[in-house]
Amino acid sequence: MRTENVHSHPQPSDVTLSFRAATANVALARTMAAAMAARTHLTIDQIEDVRLAIDEAVSQLINDCDEQTHVHCDFTETAGTLVIQTRATTRSGLPPATDTFSWLVLAALVDEVTAGADNGLVHLELRINRPASVTV
Amino acid sequence: MAQASTALASAGRWSSAKREHARALFTELANLPANSPRHKVVRDELVEMHMPLVKHLARRYRERGESQEDLAQVGMLGLIKAVDRFEVARGLEFSTFATPTILGEIKRHFRDHAWAVHVPRRLQERNIAINHAIESLTRELSRPPTIAELAKGTKLSDAEVMEAMDAGRAYTAASIDAAAEANGDGDSPYDRIGGDDQELETLELRESFRPLLAALPERERRIVMLRFFKNQSQSQIAEQLGISQMHVSRLLATSLAQIRAGMSDY
Repeated sequence: MRTENVHSHPQPSDVTLSFRAATANVALARTMAAAMAARTHLTIDQIEDVRLAIDEAVSQLINDCDEQTHVHCDFTETAGTLVIQTRATTRSGLPPATDTFSWLVLAALVDEVTAGADNGLVHLELRINRPASVTV
Repeated sequence: MAQASTALASAGRWSSAKREHARALFTELANLPANSPRHKVVRDELVEMHMPLVKHLARRYRERGESQEDLAQVGMLGLIKAVDRFEVARGLEFSTFATPTILGEIKRHFRDHAWAVHVPRRLQERNIAINHAIESLTRELSRPPTIAELAKGTKLSDAEVMEAMDAGRAYTAASIDAAAEANGDGDSPYDRIGGDDQELETLELRESFRPLLAALPERERRIVMLRFFKNQSQSQIAEQLGISQMHVSRLLATSLAQIRAGMSDY
């Protein structure tokens, strides 16, 4: 669990999803995340965990966003790792605290979670690794 | 009555000695104080002896799309209730007495877990096939399968597997209230898992999510504890509780949403 500025991706994201910061839109992020997790050949346990994790991450951002703001999710697959970066300009402009139940949930659901903030733009990055025993 | 004796016949073909032993245990149980250690031993033995009856009754519903493990698990609740309520002096066979209670729990499970939206028969059948494939592939691979592996195992396309699993999510988890009702009497097998509340004490989290956690039904609370405080995988939890992984996933999603809704401290 590191908290720092999220480094930029070495390559452009495969898919970007952008939506208005409304709870009703969380389902879109969830569906996209599950589809990308399947495409990365993650196990069904991991796919379900990714669904829960993006729910948690996006809900956290939305709770700190004005309604007209947009939330962006970048999905990238690199060498068997699914990287999901969510970002939005939030009211507080602060990265999520790490002593919360929500953070504990995120940390348990994915292999690595990092968060950071840059001029009011808050980002949360989730990384999920495909098990070595899966042959693609 | 014919129903019950058939159940008994295929559930074990008990010898008269074994039947006598069961009757003796029931007589002993009736005379023991409910909180004595011996009471628990006798009750557990009786429950264990009659587990084949539950499995037999659960098998009647094997084409209905729920995992046999899930059904046996709810049937166990019925069995435990029946053991506690059976009065041996009345002269009834236990299986005759217990069958309606066990079937009642299984039927209630179906009532509480009905498909929430209309799902085409084709998808329901695929969902059954996929659930079977998940169970066998998990054993075979010693880890949960991927979508591609499931597709191969079921001779469906990746997209068809995803579609059927999405449909499976429409097969709703029990309402929070129904689950609380089923688990609230302290008879549930989940009550015996116990012991991991200490984990909570060592955590210094900012918010007071403990009351929110405590507000969850017993089983959901256990699942949240095991997943997030014991870091067990969904499959491990499913195996430990004797329910399907998809069921664990549904219960986790509902529980997290409930906790999130109650949390003001984001």
